[in-house]
Amino acid sequence: MKIRKLDKSYHIYGRFVQMKNLKAVLVAVLLIVVQLAHAEGAVSSDFISSIGKIYVVAGVCLVILITLFFYMYQLDRKISRIEKRYKND
Amino acid sequence: MKDNTSIKFFGLALWKWFSMLILIYVFIAGWLIPLNPGIIKVAPESIKAGESVVLEVTGYNSSFVSDTAQVRAWLRLTGDTVIKAQHVQVWDNRRLTASFYIPSVFPMRQEAYPLTLILDHDTDGTSVLPNAVFATPAENQNPAEMALWFSDKVEHVHVKSGIQFPFRNILSETIRNTYFHVPMWFTMILLFAVSAWFSLQYYRNGQIVYDQKSVALIRVGILFGILGLVTGMLWAKNTWNAYWSWDVKQNMSAIALLIYAALMVMRSSVEDQMQKARLTAGYNIFAFALLIPLLFIIPRMTDSLHPGNGGNPALGGEDLDNTMRMVFYPAVIGFILLGLWISQLVYRTEKLK
Repeated sequence: MKIRKLDKSYHIYGRFVQMKNLKAVLVAVLLIVVQLAHAEGAVSSDFISSIGKIYVVAGVCLVILITLFFYMYQLDRKISRIEKRYKND
Repeated sequence: MKDNTSIKFFGLALWKWFSMLILIYVFIAGWLIPLNPGIIKVAPESIKAGESVVLEVTGYNSSFVSDTAQVRAWLRLTGDTVIKAQHVQVWDNRRLTASFYIPSVFPMRQEAYPLTLILDHDTDGTSVLPNAVFATPAENQNPAEMALWFSDKVEHVHVKSGIQFPFRNILSETIRNTYFHVPMWFTMILLFAVSAWFSLQYYRNGQIVYDQKSVALIRVGILFGILGLVTGMLWAKNTWNAYWSWDVKQNMSAIALLIYAALMVMRSSVEDQMQKARLTAGYNIFAFALLIPLLFIIPRMTDSLHPGNGGNPALGGEDLDNTMRMVFYPAVIGFILLGLWISQLVYRTEKLK
């Protein structure tokens, strides 16, 4: 029982090590996005409403693209995992 | 959802190439087609009747300089009740000053009189800013000045030629969000509809593939719903001044998303495969039946900040003119195809498991 538990945790950790670089990149991107959002909050309406509020459209497009790409990234990872399992079998 | 029979090009079904091409067109046209010239700001905002005023007008996308003598300005009270600017001085392409004499008497009695500013220019066409200035009544009223309101008319106005999106006050450039925010909801509704159809098929045939298909569609539908909600909140913050204004359409779409989220939670709590599929199918059909009143009926029954509610649908008039239709309908088709594509991938992944 104890060994199994250990095994499982090791497994998760192993995956984490594999994904470490990508995760670091992802966290960095998220941090930048959060920073930008805060910066916008600080600079506030002046920047956002300049050039006829075009940055709102930019924000909306970015939200859509980032979310869809992130979803595709997760899907890709899922498929890779399945492929790996097939190879092992 | 089946990919085996369709015609392929470079190993990918044609409709998927089609969705990519359409979305590329939408992003290019939606971003690059310019906005009609308009008026962003008028200062001062409140003026006194019976006095001469000089209004500082800030234009948007305007080219006042191109023919300085041709710029005309009016302040409109209602219909034909207008006063023409005595003098218009152009400073640059985006700034001009117009001097008016506001008559000391008005055709009707109010505490304050909202006046609409109308500009006409042969290269820019006509620009209108509703409620540009508010006039407060004069202390000494001279009934003889009543005639000034009717001495001029807004006539011989120009229309700007070429392809451009309409300029709407407050919205300005964010009118382009119509091509990105609205198709999210169209896609979500269509994915949920197809999903409900597959749930019905599951009830008729009892094959597990229909369950897998409907669940994949629900997953991607929820994704598009969340996108619609987040993009809508971002848009609302900058036009309605709050991320969430408890607008009826906002509330109802949030409830609809919660219903589908509850479906996914319920699904994951059932262990038996057959029971899971059967419960999902039943729940899904009822969820879609609920979606129709939530998104199409209730918002039309009350007042809403969204266009076209409390009455007619939104796809008409100034909110969506013919130029916008040339981008909006492709956007809807493109995002729907993209949604179907992603849900097909999700379904194929689930099937492999």
